[in-house]
Amino acid sequence: MSLDQQILQYLITGVTVGSIYALIGMGFNIIYNSTEIINFAQGEFVMLGGLFTVTGMRVLHLPLPFAALMAVMAVALIAILFDVVAIRPLKDASSITLIIITIGASIFLRGIASILWGKEPYPIPAFSGEDPIPFFGAVIQPQSLWVMGITFLIVLGLRQFFNRTIIGKAMLASAFQPKAARLVGIDTRSMTLISFGLSGFVGAAAGIVIAPISMAQYDIGIMIGLKGFCAAIIGGLGNFWGVVLGGVALGVLESLGAGLISSGYKDAIAFGILLIMLFFRPQGILGKGKGDRV
Amino acid sequence: MMDAVPLLRTENLSRHFGGVKALSELTFTVRKGLIQAVIGPNGAGKTTLFNVISGVFPQTSGKVFFQEQEITGLPTHAIARRGLTRTFQNLRLFSEMTVLENIMVGMHLQSRGGFLASAFRLPWVLREEKRIREESLGWLDFVEMTQYANIPAASLPFGKQRILELARGLALKPSLLMLDEPAAGLNIRETEELAALILRIRDNGITVLLVEHDMDLVMGISDHVTVVDQGKKLADGDPETIRNDERVLKAYLGEE
Amino acid sequence: MKRTSLTRTRYGGFAVFALFLLLLPLAVTNDYYLNVLIFIGIHSIIAMGLDLLMGYTGQISLGHAAFFGLGGYISGILSAKGGWTALAGLPLAILGVGLIAWVIGVPTLKLHGHYLAMATLGFGMIVFIFFNELVPLTGGPSGLTGIEGVSVLGFAFDSDLKYYYLVASALLLALLLSINIVRSRVGRALRAIHGSEVASSVLGVNVARFKVAIFVLSAVYAALAGWLYAHYITFLSPSSFGFLFSVKLVTMVVIGSLGSIWGGIFGAALLTSLPEFLFVFEKYETTVFGLILILVMIFMPKGLLRGIEDLVLRILGPRVKGEGSKG
Repeated sequence: MSLDQQILQYLITGVTVGSIYALIGMGFNIIYNSTEIINFAQGEFVMLGGLFTVTGMRVLHLPLPFAALMAVMAVALIAILFDVVAIRPLKDASSITLIIITIGASIFLRGIASILWGKEPYPIPAFSGEDPIPFFGAVIQPQSLWVMGITFLIVLGLRQFFNRTIIGKAMLASAFQPKAARLVGIDTRSMTLISFGLSGFVGAAAGIVIAPISMAQYDIGIMIGLKGFCAAIIGGLGNFWGVVLGGVALGVLESLGAGLISSGYKDAIAFGILLIMLFFRPQGILGKGKGDRV
Repeated sequence: MMDAVPLLRTENLSRHFGGVKALSELTFTVRKGLIQAVIGPNGAGKTTLFNVISGVFPQTSGKVFFQEQEITGLPTHAIARRGLTRTFQNLRLFSEMTVLENIMVGMHLQSRGGFLASAFRLPWVLREEKRIREESLGWLDFVEMTQYANIPAASLPFGKQRILELARGLALKPSLLMLDEPAAGLNIRETEELAALILRIRDNGITVLLVEHDMDLVMGISDHVTVVDQGKKLADGDPETIRNDERVLKAYLGEE
Repeated sequence: MKRTSLTRTRYGGFAVFALFLLLLPLAVTNDYYLNVLIFIGIHSIIAMGLDLLMGYTGQISLGHAAFFGLGGYISGILSAKGGWTALAGLPLAILGVGLIAWVIGVPTLKLHGHYLAMATLGFGMIVFIFFNELVPLTGGPSGLTGIEGVSVLGFAFDSDLKYYYLVASALLLALLLSINIVRSRVGRALRAIHGSEVASSVLGVNVARFKVAIFVLSAVYAALAGWLYAHYITFLSPSSFGFLFSVKLVTMVVIGSLGSIWGGIFGAALLTSLPEFLFVFEKYETTVFGLILILVMIFMPKGLLRGIEDLVLRILGPRVKGEGSKG
């Protein structure tokens, strides 16, 4: 492979991984938009999505689409449960308390997963075979196309949901002006609930589409969750297209950095970018401060 | 009484929030030794004026001079160091700390014990602590709240919380004390006590600038009143002049 | 009269605790438990520093494991690779970590809440990655061996008992300094910042400077603990300084009770010894740990120490209610 082709290959990998970061970042966004909470357990939703699919296929012998459907439903339910049990009673707590409780949930979910599924990684078969598709001298795995396609569909779907449906609009309203929203009769509590469910759904979906590439394992949540957060920060927390941009940018930078500089420092690149963003432009590349959500 | 030494002066001060001009080219002067009030309808930009002067947020354009030196854009604590402090419309007490400790924080600038000196309790730090404690008790005495010294600020009755915030500002020994709606939420008797206290503060040589909605209080104690409306200065003069100013009446009636 | 009562409340608890630490080894004869006590002491020092930052000043850090690790690695590398004595490495560990904390603290502490949490977490992760990747210096994931033990003027702290007293002395020193700082002008400024940053600044408190200073101090506490750790087990591996340990440190402070120096020690003792008592649950350790975090936050958000205090007051009933609401 020539250097050009190599770089093209890194770009393809970067966009694939970046799409996943974008999906996870989207999960952060949905909850942040309705509660101003940054949910440290977001990565665990991703992990659970993959592992539930494994169970659906191996234990219940479901075909992949049904196993995946079951997994996203299960994770959405867990996310909702988390809101009801742990977040709702503490709605007015300090941010330190909320940070700790979502961290507690993340550790708890990971611990449960290690008990239920053990510590070994599980493969999930690629959705449509593994014959690489040649692309200007580089190759694209069919699964990469699935990842990008599903990310695109979900982002589009979320956009329509928030802009076109009553519930979506109500969720935005209750995030933007909780008091006013309550005055016009929006039940902000159920909006929060829906946002957790939705965020669990999106997280699990991310976990399922990436599993054929990176395997499903109990402890992938922390790192991939943080990368998703990083994507959300780069794009501007609350800004949906910004997150896609952020995720892809992060994925590409990481992939180029790993390929051309050193793979060991791959994650350090992501966190370095995170710090630079937080220090110099915490509202993100596309964010314009609080008045410009979603 | 009207020795016209300007203590604080703003020059074409503006502050915009997006498209909203909360302050628009406001020029006004606070003279030394007086009680001066800023009044105006709701949303006229009074609290914004306080926030910009005290450095809580930056101006969009214009300048602020304090004691003939420009303080525009200085950080809040540096402005405090020059002798300008304020209270807040929505109380900002250190609610978990005791009443006495709140005042002692007010004496922060009159003491200098840092990390090392405090960690090793050097003799001069101990002397300084003693002095801070005694002087703070003195301020509590000044506002007649000595009996509350050791209870948490949060458990004071509301009216006393307002007074505590004011006393905390006094402990800084400011040249200018800015009070943001000090009578808000007070009953008639408490407001009368507040009026007497503000007069005593002025008599102690501290200039007072207040934003206030209670017209009886403003007209009763102020030496000079500035009226702002929609971020602009509408009128300026002694209470009697203001009371009879047609533009002022119009602005207020327009609001009703 | 007033002065004696002041002195008693100020240092009474400290004196009792010092005596307790002095006599504790008489009751603990088993070397293994002594070893647990040493770890409790080391963790207490970090927790205490972190509490100055979190409990008193209201600023969270999810990256303190990094400072702990840096303190250990700086002195450990000097010892293992450069042949320095432990004692010579101590000032370098402290100054080095202090400097790093300052550089990172200046931009970081401008952030609030969740953003601050994420920035400190990101910093911790980066440091963790460096521990793993700088193999020539740190030995990478397989660890750094050959670190010398501590000896001062020819006296070697070469038994668990001797090391226990070394750690206990360091803990008492850290405790004393913390008590003094908390009850000073500086401590008031820190608590004022926690109460309201804007009110503190209109009273002349340089909020940014105090926040960075307390961040540096808490990092230095962690560095001291890291030094004690490195020269005790004489081996360092990155896995001891990961995100989970940062979370554990925060948990110690929160479970102990934010804003109470004793709370940090209590939390460190509890969390460090818990696995020893729950060894049957070894497989479930992290799960239980997560569950404890959630339950404590829901039911005793002020931490166990305060929670128990409130509970006792409630049981004692209205007799002491007036006292209770004051405390």
